[in-house]
Amino acid sequence: MGYVAVKGGTHAIEESIKRLKYERVHHGQTIEVEKIKAGMRGLVDQVMSESSLYNETLAALAIKQAEGNPEEAVFLLRAYRSTVPRKHYSRVIETGQMNVDRRISASFKDIPGGQILGATTDYTHRLLDFNLMDESDADVQEWLHQYLNESFQGDEQQLTLPKVLDYLRKEGLIPTCENNDMEPDDVTRESLEFPSSRSQRLQILTRGETGAITSLAYAVIRGYGALHPTVGELRVGTLPVTIDHPTDAGDDDDAFYIGEVKVTEVEMLMPVTVEKEYGKKELEFEIGYGLVFGQNETKAIAMGILDNCLEHPTPDFPSHNEEFVLYHIDSVESTGFISHLKMPHYVTFQSKLDSVRKTKKEGISKGQEVKS
Amino acid sequence: MKRRRRTEILINGSQKRSEDMADCIKDNYQVKVIQEPESGLVMLKVRETSQKSLFFPGEVLITECKVQIQGSIGIGIVAGDQPELSYNLAVIDAAYEAMLPETIGWKLLLENEEKIIQEQRTAANHSILKTKVNFETMDV
Repeated sequence: MGYVAVKGGTHAIEESIKRLKYERVHHGQTIEVEKIKAGMRGLVDQVMSESSLYNETLAALAIKQAEGNPEEAVFLLRAYRSTVPRKHYSRVIETGQMNVDRRISASFKDIPGGQILGATTDYTHRLLDFNLMDESDADVQEWLHQYLNESFQGDEQQLTLPKVLDYLRKEGLIPTCENNDMEPDDVTRESLEFPSSRSQRLQILTRGETGAITSLAYAVIRGYGALHPTVGELRVGTLPVTIDHPTDAGDDDDAFYIGEVKVTEVEMLMPVTVEKEYGKKELEFEIGYGLVFGQNETKAIAMGILDNCLEHPTPDFPSHNEEFVLYHIDSVESTGFISHLKMPHYVTFQSKLDSVRKTKKEGISKGQEVKS
Repeated sequence: MKRRRRTEILINGSQKRSEDMADCIKDNYQVKVIQEPESGLVMLKVRETSQKSLFFPGEVLITECKVQIQGSIGIGIVAGDQPELSYNLAVIDAAYEAMLPETIGWKLLLENEEKIIQEQRTAANHSILKTKVNFETMDV
């Protein structure tokens, strides 16, 4: 059977797009963007992180349009991002300036500034709260009023806290290092080439799909990698963003403050044995670094694990292979390729079909020859 | 007052404050808009703490506006979609660049606004500090 290329389907596509809208609105209700921002913080943060675009309103709009599907929302936001001009680069953000909302260490009980739990589900029972079924805006406002009027006993005021790493460096437990001000590479401007630079690896990891990064990091811990990590410090909080005057750059005091971004930052500690002089072996710590937009602690921890894996390439494990990790964790890349398989492949499949028919035919005629 | 401090106060403080300050300039001087408020992106540059190198974690949506007053250019940049605020920030920035006499009286206004912001931040910090763990070692 021969094959021909065909065209058509314009009307069907138009109706399909209408049908998509029908699926979104067929309950006769719509969800406001403000409601998504107010009540779906985790999803908004995930979409901003994977899109590598920080704006809660646009992320909420993308979530609404994508009917809550994160991969589609990220695709929409990445597409939007490509239409907006990049006007500036920020001044270097030092994460020690973070105003902390939450800060814990799993390695050290007594850290300077203390363990601040902030908002976390870590100590909840994970029982469905059926009271939320009938929760109203008025209920929420009443609770807020009460909560914000509770008094605080203490004289502490500041939540800009010293880093646990600085404390460890002072103790000599991890090597000190100087600031490296080399201009970073940018994977949104230049395609990734191997071997990758550290800045490219961190940029791709922080934009990575949450589930993919988490799965690979989990595989590392289960034995498909060579790491035994502990959370040295995990922080969630806001970082101030400043930019230099475009024509008259001065010092930090002359910069424009433009607002804050909320991030999760993690330093993972990995014990390693280091050989010193005369064959003497010592135990030291290496650090895996994770930083992601919003509060997304699992992803930040997983990023820290993979960062350290990629610092130690080995053919023994795919999780230590930069090409394997970096090419497969991007949401738009992976879901784009997998979902493109739904698109018509009639011509290419037809040629495969012809090959299959041909080989089967040859097989049958050979069989008949053997019999005769 | 230096730009970093004043822009932080104007962005984190009451929008009414920046509106009033900008209005006071608009009422008395000719403001030429060079660039209407428009969306753009700022790429963040962060120093990671493991090897203290730099990387780009992503971009922030901003609104940017440029105006001119008496030959001096003012720029207003703010995170998010905030055209009115970016315009008012640009007018205030131009006023400082042109060293207009109105800016002298603004120092006290901004310092008062800064106090309010600090009080709000302290209250928010107190709320967070209630979640600080007070460890007690148990006798076994």
